Amino acid sequence: MRFEEELVELLPRLRRFARGLARHASDADDLCQAAIERALKSRDQWQQGTRLDSWMYRITRNLWIDERRAAGRRGVQTPIDDKVVQIAGQGAAEVEAGALRGDVDGAMARLPDEQREVVMLILVEGYAYREAADILEVPIGTVTSRLARGRETLMFYLREAA
Amino acid sequence: MSLDPETVAAFVDGELDDLTARRIEREAATDAALAAEIARHRAVKSRLAAHYAPIAEEAVPDRLRSLLAVDDKVDTSLADRRDARRTRFGAIHWGAIAASLVLGLTIGLRPWMPIADVASEGGTLVAAGPLAEALDMQLASSQPGDAAVRIGVSFQDKAGRYCRTFESASIDGIGCRESERWQLERTLRGQARGAYRQASSGELAAVAATMMAGEPLDGAAEQAARDAGWDHSR
Repeated sequence: MRFEEELVELLPRLRRFARGLARHASDADDLCQAAIERALKSRDQWQQGTRLDSWMYRITRNLWIDERRAAGRRGVQTPIDDKVVQIAGQGAAEVEAGALRGDVDGAMARLPDEQREVVMLILVEGYAYREAADILEVPIGTVTSRLARGRETLMFYLREAA
Repeated sequence: MSLDPETVAAFVDGELDDLTARRIEREAATDAALAAEIARHRAVKSRLAAHYAPIAEEAVPDRLRSLLAVDDKVDTSLADRRDARRTRFGAIHWGAIAASLVLGLTIGLRPWMPIADVASEGGTLVAAGPLAEALDMQLASSQPGDAAVRIGVSFQDKAGRYCRTFESASIDGIGCRESERWQLERTLRGQARGAYRQASSGELAAVAATMMAGEPLDGAAEQAARDAGWDHSR
């Protein structure tokens, strides 16, 4: 199959992955667009016979990280993290969890970037730990510990109403 | 016994070797805390999967698709180009028809439901959202009387797959577990309640009976199957 055709087949899944990373639909599609453009430009670097999907996910994720870092330097985006919650104490965390009950997007937004990408790759895209480690170019132990922390946070925010 | 959270997670993610996985399954059968922990992990996982699944079902925007439009550079003759173009539009055309069929079917099934209980994956109707969650987690023996989705019988079909009948306000049917999702084998428009509901239950039960290999699962077997993630190969 031709390179472009394989890419077209990947697009629906890639859009889902991008949406998990970038949250907003238009940002996610911008990210996909940048990833496709990058892939077309560097298609010589993809080795026939290796997995195009892993390669594309890696490109997408790296572009996203670049964008996040650039935005961070510009001071545009303050990631929602758990600092506020820590300052306000456990009571506030409970209140927040109540407000967020059932809101997957809200819960995901509370994960640090490096946990969110692992959660997306493994729990949503269904990659094995080893494959996720290859895509992210980190040791497998890093993947499992980030996954564990991300999962704990998600289980806290998404737990069933008692 | 207590397992560290990462091992439970690895179990749920299918990352453990067969031997260890079986050991944990056996333990979960008698260790309620472990079983609950596994269920908690599974619930979050299916929650996420159901939340993001519809995005992969959306039509890919033209601005992305056009970046990958097949160009005509390699074609030498006008006829070749025409053929290429015809084939290409042919494919798109059929894709669009298939998509609208699925959409029409889905809308037909649940005209008033904002939350997708049904999604299409590769042309197969599968349970999503709350329905998938209920099929994953809910036990017929312990479900609340007012549950949004009511599970009927659970059984193994002739191919060994676990299947479950269900009823809800919007859709009734039979879901069979394959490739880690619930394929909808039979669907009927949800029959709210009363006499229609009886008729629908009867019809589903009759269909289930023809699909079933052996007896329906009893309470213990249902729970064991759930705790093993409805994976009949285990």
